[in-house]
Amino acid sequence: FHGEGYQEGYEDGSSLGRIEGRQHGALRGAKIGSEIGCYQGFAFAWKHLLHSDASERDSRKMRVLESLMGMIEKFPYDDPAYDRLHEDLDRIRGKFRQLCSLLNVQPDFKMSAEGSGLSF
Amino acid sequence: MKDSLVLLARVPAHPDSRCWFLAWNPAGTLLASCGGDRRIRIWGTEGDSWICKSVLSEGHQRTVRKVAWSPCGNYLASASFDATTCIWKKNQDDFECVTTLEGHENEVKSVAWAPSGNLLATCSRDKSVWVWEVDEEDEYECVSVLNSHTQDVKHVVWHPSQELLASASYDDTVKLYREEEDDWVCCATLEGHESTVWSLAFDPSGQRLASCSDDRTVRIWRQYLPGNEQGVACSGSDPSWKCICTLSGFHSRTIYDVAWCQLTGALATACGDDAIRVFEEDPSSDPQQPTFSLAAHSRQAHSQDVNCVAWNPKEPGLLASCSDDGEVAFWKYQRPEGL
Repeated sequence: FHGEGYQEGYEDGSSLGRIEGRQHGALRGAKIGSEIGCYQGFAFAWKHLLHSDASERDSRKMRVLESLMGMIEKFPYDDPAYDRLHEDLDRIRGKFRQLCSLLNVQPDFKMSAEGSGLSF
Repeated sequence: MKDSLVLLARVPAHPDSRCWFLAWNPAGTLLASCGGDRRIRIWGTEGDSWICKSVLSEGHQRTVRKVAWSPCGNYLASASFDATTCIWKKNQDDFECVTTLEGHENEVKSVAWAPSGNLLATCSRDKSVWVWEVDEEDEYECVSVLNSHTQDVKHVVWHPSQELLASASYDDTVKLYREEEDDWVCCATLEGHESTVWSLAFDPSGQRLASCSDDRTVRIWRQYLPGNEQGVACSGSDPSWKCICTLSGFHSRTIYDVAWCQLTGALATACGDDAIRVFEEDPSSDPQQPTFSLAAHSRQAHSQDVNCVAWNPKEPGLLASCSDDGEVAFWKYQRPEGL
């Protein structure tokens, strides 16, 4: 009886655990996706804005913009177990903040209820 | 050892507030102090006494945590808890705020000028380190935002002659950064401290770095270039840094600051037990495993935590310190005989 009960409980538990884990993973993945998507949209829009009057002064902005887009492109969207995922994400965040500083815009989208700057 | 550290003067620099940090100008003639009263004061001598030459009060909304002089001595940068860094231009005794650097999400904890004067680094509670480039027209552009630390970044300092930046953090590590292809990258992480690393100081050659911590130790790290004789492993072309000495058992509280005299090599510490200590390297000790002796110890240097110690860059042995008691003290240090 003990053995059977344990087995049943174990199976129920691991099935529930798997579902919970999958949900959590999907949620985290969606968060990262939406954050990067936001940066990409921002970079894309600014690329078009800058392109129309690209001057000598804007060369660093353009370089940083291209670099951000390159990093977003290279980010491994199909490998959640990629061991440098968070490191790469931090570099993308840094590049985005540098771009905001160069463009003189506030990265203050208030995406979450906390409302303290950029919090995804 | 008794008379090796003599008090020269004491001034109530930031009354009813804390005095957080001090910086000597490169000529060694002026000392800038900053504090919880949101003000920066500039001190100079008149005869034998230290007097306040200017007060920089319009600029910050909150505590001014650190100040730094540019290598040319004509600019002063101030890092504040109001999330901004101000650049002040010196015009004889007057200072004018010419630029305010924004970008950090919250408290800016430290600011430092590279030896060339063309780069400025800032760090913040937002865990990031920013590198700024200065052009001829006093315009500042962000060249990198580094998110290598996992916690509050307490201090940034530049190598005395190279464009190598070091940062200390609440995550118990020290990180080093260098430029790589139009961006900056973390090239080394120094692990060993068991609690917050509060401050850093390079030795005059830049080959060694001292770090001080909440774990009540000072650690000395040494740079080993690839292919070094000692056989210390390096990854790729980056030098590696190894802890070659730990000063423990001397301090009874958090060590908030460490200063390595660029003229004499004496190492001073500011401690939460209200004391100032000065250490000297034993000349006969092995350079790969140096030992340091306590050469001076002023037990009640201040009535509260000592926040900063700063050696004058031109006059050997002239040391300034400041404290939570709001005071700045000036000391004359003389290396004891027989050390």
